[in-house]
Amino acid sequence: MILKRHIPILIVTVIGLLTLFGWFIEQPTIQAFVDDDATQWYDILASFAIILGAMNLLKMQGRKVIKQQEGWGYSLFAIGGFIFSILAGFVIKGSESVAWGTHVTSKGTLFKWMFEFMFTPLSATMFALLAFFVASASYRAFRIRNFEATLLLVAGIIIMLGRVPIGSYISSWFVMYILVLLIGIAVNVKFGNKMITFSSVLTGLLIVTVAGMLTGWPIDQPGIFYLPIIQEWIYYNPNVAGARAIMIGIGLGIFATSIRYILGIEKSYIGE
Amino acid sequence: MKDKQFWIIGAAITVAFLIFWMLGHPGFNGERIVMFVAIVGMAGTLIYYIRIAKRGDSFFLRTIPGLKAVEEAVGRSTEMGKPVLYVPGIMDMDQVETVAGVIVLGHVARMTARYETSLNVPVSRAIVMKAARESVREAYTLEGRPDLFHEDIVHYLTDDQFAYAAGVNGIMNREKPAACLYMGKFYAESLILAETGNSIGAIQIAGTASQAQIPFFVTACDYTLIGEEFFAASAYLSQKPELMGGVKGQDMIKAGITIVIILSVILRLFHDLGWIGWDVLNFLTVQ
Repeated sequence: MILKRHIPILIVTVIGLLTLFGWFIEQPTIQAFVDDDATQWYDILASFAIILGAMNLLKMQGRKVIKQQEGWGYSLFAIGGFIFSILAGFVIKGSESVAWGTHVTSKGTLFKWMFEFMFTPLSATMFALLAFFVASASYRAFRIRNFEATLLLVAGIIIMLGRVPIGSYISSWFVMYILVLLIGIAVNVKFGNKMITFSSVLTGLLIVTVAGMLTGWPIDQPGIFYLPIIQEWIYYNPNVAGARAIMIGIGLGIFATSIRYILGIEKSYIGE
Repeated sequence: MKDKQFWIIGAAITVAFLIFWMLGHPGFNGERIVMFVAIVGMAGTLIYYIRIAKRGDSFFLRTIPGLKAVEEAVGRSTEMGKPVLYVPGIMDMDQVETVAGVIVLGHVARMTARYETSLNVPVSRAIVMKAARESVREAYTLEGRPDLFHEDIVHYLTDDQFAYAAGVNGIMNREKPAACLYMGKFYAESLILAETGNSIGAIQIAGTASQAQIPFFVTACDYTLIGEEFFAASAYLSQKPELMGGVKGQDMIKAGITIVIILSVILRLFHDLGWIGWDVLNFLTVQ
């Protein structure tokens, strides 16, 4: 009971309090522990723990191969890759002119070859998949289902257009004409009267045209209809406000969770 | 500890700190006093509400659909005879989100043990593997089903971000889990995982405090626990009064922060207008 319950809680409490209040104490030993030693201890522990992970991986994949479970061929690749990496890291340097240790980063070695021509392309392939997943996810998110989705769609289009070079070539007057047509749609939905719709659209078009002729059609004026300026406003105002609200919540959540661990109130991590 | 003792100890600590401060506070970084007071104040509020909860007072906590859906997801997997896939993020146990993910895993494991549903937890860090394994073992034991537990429920894949994503995607495509739960710290692999889960028709619940990944999860998952909801998950799932009290305390702190923000905006406006000389932003900025 003491070993499995009380000692882990005591360790969490002491180290937690030390780390929390170490930030306020001007004492070199405590500051060195908080800033460097504690994280180094963790790194050392994690280095040893990787052996457990590797053993677990080999056990799982080896069993699949031995029992010839579904997809055991993939497990052969996993085991083969593991053994090859170990050999390239510890047994076969591939270049006599390079010293052990530096061979993992030096050109011409087997390890570096494996890293550059096997690992990096495979990682890049997985990363590249993200582009397609973003496209499919965006399609789902931007489908017009309700007011919020429409708002997201409009904001997304403005941000995308405003952030690329072509966005700065789209005149604010063009955006105003589009807005007049959109207002016409809204008027038609609201009143369902062709005359009212026609007269409101015509009035809008006239106002925009006359204003344009009087001012000489400057591409970026009035600024509130110029896409790069609108996108900047969306990005730095509503977006930042929402993001900060989430950040405050996250910070508070992390703080509350940490306090629960430090005070021993949350004991789920030891299975209670 | 009785209420009277609690308040006496609180007052004694405050007086002791005031005396220490007036004596020149040797060894204490005076520039960080605002932060120190804020931390002590917030911790005090949390402890106060936890005490109230322990005393038996009931709190209203709004329903979080994502947490209600966890049991539904496990139930769906049971009905379909398919496994539940649980991904505790890609970071190590030094991240509080990973710790929160492992804690939620304990609750999920209790459900899978209760319903005799298979659980698959691929992890990307060896220490997380050990911690998650212990958490699952305890959950199965507490549910009275230690016979259903085996160590391979929690298994290690790799430390590398995209290799891990590839491994989890492979598991999804081969095993076709009925429910995929993503609870922890995620980076760019979040969308790769969630879109693959979406493509196999699994019910998906995500919980993360990784701000940049929240939109991806919201898009691709059925339910998403955003930021603080994720950290409150353990309290909701366990229904323990002391944890529920903590969530209530958290809400009260949030109300306090909102008031501080509004007051600060007003004071800063007064400063900019030249009505007062004291700059609230300088006061609140962490040195």
